[in-house]
Amino acid sequence: MSLGAWFKERVPIDPGQLREMTNEPVPNHIKAWWWCLGGTPAYLFVVQIVTGILLAFYYEASPVTAYESVRYITDEAAFGWFLRGLHKWGATLMIAAVVLHQMRVYFTGAYRRPRELNWMIGMVLLVCTLMIGFTGYSLVYEQLSFWGATVGANIADSVPVVGGFSKELLLGGETYNDRTLSRFFMLHAAVLPGIMILLLIVHVTLIRLHGVTEFEFEKKKGAATDAEKPRFFNFFPDHAMTELIVGLVLMILLATLATALPATMGPKADPLITPEVIKPEWFFYVAFRWLKLMSATAAVLSMGFVFFLMFVWPFFDGWIRKRWPASEFSVWAGIFGVLAIVGLTVWEAAVAH
Amino acid sequence: MSLNVKRFVLVVLSATFLASLLFVQRMEVVRREQESARHQGAHIAVPASSEQCVSCHGENTPGVVEQWRTSTHAEAGVGCYDCHKAGPRDADGFNHYGSQIATVVTPRDCAECHPAEAGEFDASHHAKAGAILHSLDNFLAETVEGNRTPFNPHSPTPGRPDMGEVNGMASAMTGCMQCHGSKLALLDVDGASITVTELAPDEKGEPTNREVVARIQRDANGKPVFDHGTWPNTGIGRVNLDGSKGSCSACHSRHDFSPRRARQPENCGKCHLGPDHPQKEIYEESKHGIAYRDLRDRMNLDSPTWVLGEDYTAAPTCATCHMSGNVNNGGRITHDPGERISWTNRPPVSLVMDTDAEHRVITSIDPAERAAQVVDTANDKRQRMQNVCSVCHTKNYIGGFYSQYDDFVQNFNEKFAKPGQAIVASLREQKLITPTQFDEEVEWTWFYLWHHEGRRARHGASMMAPDYAHWHGMYEVAERFYMELVPQVREILEHAENNGQATAAGATRAVLEEILARPEHAWQESGPR
Amino acid sequence: MATQEPVPESESAGELDRRRFLAGGTTVAMAGGLAVAYGTCGAMGGRFLYPARPAARRWQFLARVDALADGQAMTWKAPTGDPIVIARRGTSGEAEDFVALSSTCPHLGCQVHWEGHRNRFFCPCHNGVFDPAGVATAGPPAQAGQALMRFPLRRVGPLLFIEVTLESLGSEA
Repeated sequence: MSLGAWFKERVPIDPGQLREMTNEPVPNHIKAWWWCLGGTPAYLFVVQIVTGILLAFYYEASPVTAYESVRYITDEAAFGWFLRGLHKWGATLMIAAVVLHQMRVYFTGAYRRPRELNWMIGMVLLVCTLMIGFTGYSLVYEQLSFWGATVGANIADSVPVVGGFSKELLLGGETYNDRTLSRFFMLHAAVLPGIMILLLIVHVTLIRLHGVTEFEFEKKKGAATDAEKPRFFNFFPDHAMTELIVGLVLMILLATLATALPATMGPKADPLITPEVIKPEWFFYVAFRWLKLMSATAAVLSMGFVFFLMFVWPFFDGWIRKRWPASEFSVWAGIFGVLAIVGLTVWEAAVAH
Repeated sequence: MSLNVKRFVLVVLSATFLASLLFVQRMEVVRREQESARHQGAHIAVPASSEQCVSCHGENTPGVVEQWRTSTHAEAGVGCYDCHKAGPRDADGFNHYGSQIATVVTPRDCAECHPAEAGEFDASHHAKAGAILHSLDNFLAETVEGNRTPFNPHSPTPGRPDMGEVNGMASAMTGCMQCHGSKLALLDVDGASITVTELAPDEKGEPTNREVVARIQRDANGKPVFDHGTWPNTGIGRVNLDGSKGSCSACHSRHDFSPRRARQPENCGKCHLGPDHPQKEIYEESKHGIAYRDLRDRMNLDSPTWVLGEDYTAAPTCATCHMSGNVNNGGRITHDPGERISWTNRPPVSLVMDTDAEHRVITSIDPAERAAQVVDTANDKRQRMQNVCSVCHTKNYIGGFYSQYDDFVQNFNEKFAKPGQAIVASLREQKLITPTQFDEEVEWTWFYLWHHEGRRARHGASMMAPDYAHWHGMYEVAERFYMELVPQVREILEHAENNGQATAAGATRAVLEEILARPEHAWQESGPR
Repeated sequence: MATQEPVPESESAGELDRRRFLAGGTTVAMAGGLAVAYGTCGAMGGRFLYPARPAARRWQFLARVDALADGQAMTWKAPTGDPIVIARRGTSGEAEDFVALSSTCPHLGCQVHWEGHRNRFFCPCHNGVFDPAGVATAGPPAQAGQALMRFPLRRVGPLLFIEVTLESLGSEA
């Protein structure tokens, strides 16, 4: 019996079927690089998992030893500084890529029927990504880690009804205490990644089942001009290699950033000394600035509303287009949203308070 | 983009990625090199027996622990307990959180690991510094400047109702004894002092008089109470309770016991300075001191071995000449500076440093007796000193200097010291002055002449400081002699003659006139010769 | 589905060979490049996991040479917390008189103790026996040809020094 037959008897998958399942036809317009923005965060997610696992070999999630363990990684472990840099910049790039991906999906209307559920899954993935970024930074136990976590928990507290409960759940108590850090670590390294992996599987499966959105105008154009030109190309090896290229470019970028702008360590967390300026990570600047413009409750409620709206946008947009079929409302709403987010972020970045 | 192009792009990108990783590798190597350079001596571990000490005292007196951490002791795994441990029968031992320890660490304790150094030190004059003070009538500090027994204050001190009786030993306590060393004393239950005399320790340092030990006053934690006049004290000749003499901490500062510090002149300068023995000032005036000040960075003070001619040659310090090793003596250090000194300029009349088996200076004038007693001659000592000089100076140069030095000492001895000594001795013998010291002006005059100015002059000559040899030295000696001593003696004699002590006065006058008639003093009467 | 871009039918056999060679060549180069690049990255990750620096070993003060008489033994706690047995079997006064052995049994890590009356080290866990030099003579450690770990000793003046690792779980370096 040949090796192939031996294997086939035990793992009964038909290679033809497998090939068909995985070798999805990719619409020609995907050849544009703008469409790699989905694979980019996925690739970075893998980078984060790999570097995160490596870092977890040395990280200790206790307030007494956390800072020292991060220092050990940065100063003493071989290539520790490099892996930490990859992880730190991977986080920033991943969040940026996720946001760009969402913008691409939004502006190409790929959330529309029948893909509304996938959009909502993507929204949950966005929240998870932001949460993972937040919890990750708290683990270093620098001053900003501690105070950022404290402020964040207090903001959660100001949500009506569930605020107090969610804050206590997050901190493992009324205030930041000895058990808070291990809670954050579990969320960061186990719970959130786990949720994200499951959601990603569903997300990608739905894409595969639905197929990548084809453009209306492409469909018309294709038929009129070149009927013989294939409107699809193969995932393997064509698109796969594109993704490999993207992956390598990202690795080069990450390696350069990790070397040129390495991850440093600020002063160790001191619960008795509040720093002059407390700021969250850059991806929360928009929320932070928004919070300073009104009362905590008003800010939390308004942000909650915005989030809800984004979450159900496919349905809202669907209703709008039913009423006004030629409307470009989403595009304008999108442009406004992007400008507002960017504006608030830049504003927060530019000032100390 | 065709597949081939994509593949080609991937090759190029892989190469670029690899290049960036090679750069990362390079940075890692650089970082490791820097790290190992930093980590060379930094790692120490607290030895098991001292772990408890460090964990508590690291909080309470962190300075002491941090100092220790920087020491060679710490690197070698010698901790608190290794030095502070006390035997069960030691007078000053007590139980401190489960360990039997003593506060005071004596040369006997240091000798456990450093027997050679402790032995050399024990034979030296440094170790005798306290004993000398305590057997001599330390009249000046204890009586003239204070009082041997407590006395009533003139009036109360406003704001300090606790300050009642005056401790008249204060000047000796804070002055003389801090350099020379106190006679360590514990208090007994009645407040009396318990010293080595009362404890009578055996050759292991343990007291044989167990009754006295039982009477030692102890505080609530069992710690013996020290007579605060005698402790704290790191005088170099401290008389310890275990019978040993001295304190290694005097030069080797605890708790880092830094050899680097002991090599520097400022260390010796704690005691070897001042009007009566300005060795530090003399050194600073001399060319040796000038060179040191300028070339301090090249002195290699942190080197583990510090051999002149090998580890450094920039300049000599006190330690260089008097103690440290050099290329001519095989790098051998001595903890007995007396080993290299050929004249002792301490007494009124300088003596040749022929020493006997007990390291005492031979004073006999009979050559046969001297030859019989001598174990280490002054010449041997001079030879050892000249081993140091020879690293930088030629034989003729050294020989010439020593001739100048010998001439200077002899001039002082013969013109002023011996005469002065003879005159004052005669006054005392003839009872023309009271037996009490320092109650008459002439006693102060003579004291200044030999103890202050005379010593300064000789030290200045010995260590190449012309100003101290002359203007601060012989000039002042001469002035003191001619303008004060002689007139004061004459006045005493006149007074004696007018008060029925003519015979006595006559005897002393004979001594005085005989001296002044000598050619070297004749300039007074008849002008320049 | 086509895996290559459409090939003009008029291509000669030579052209086809060249095309295939190019394709094959670039594939190999690509695969090689990716393997080397990602492999290096992976190797760095692996190196990261490997302990950074071997724990510092240093000579530490042990005791005076005359602290132990011939035939006597004492226990000394190393900075790592290991108990070490130091025994003397000679009167020359040199370091060769002494032997410093870890009292951790190499079989499964229990503590051995010295039985003076039987002139041996004994491990109570599985009845391992060691001779005075620390070589296992009976029990599981003997079957595995093991011995108690020896620590180097040297004499400096009247003092004995032992070479041990410095790091311990609680120490701040």
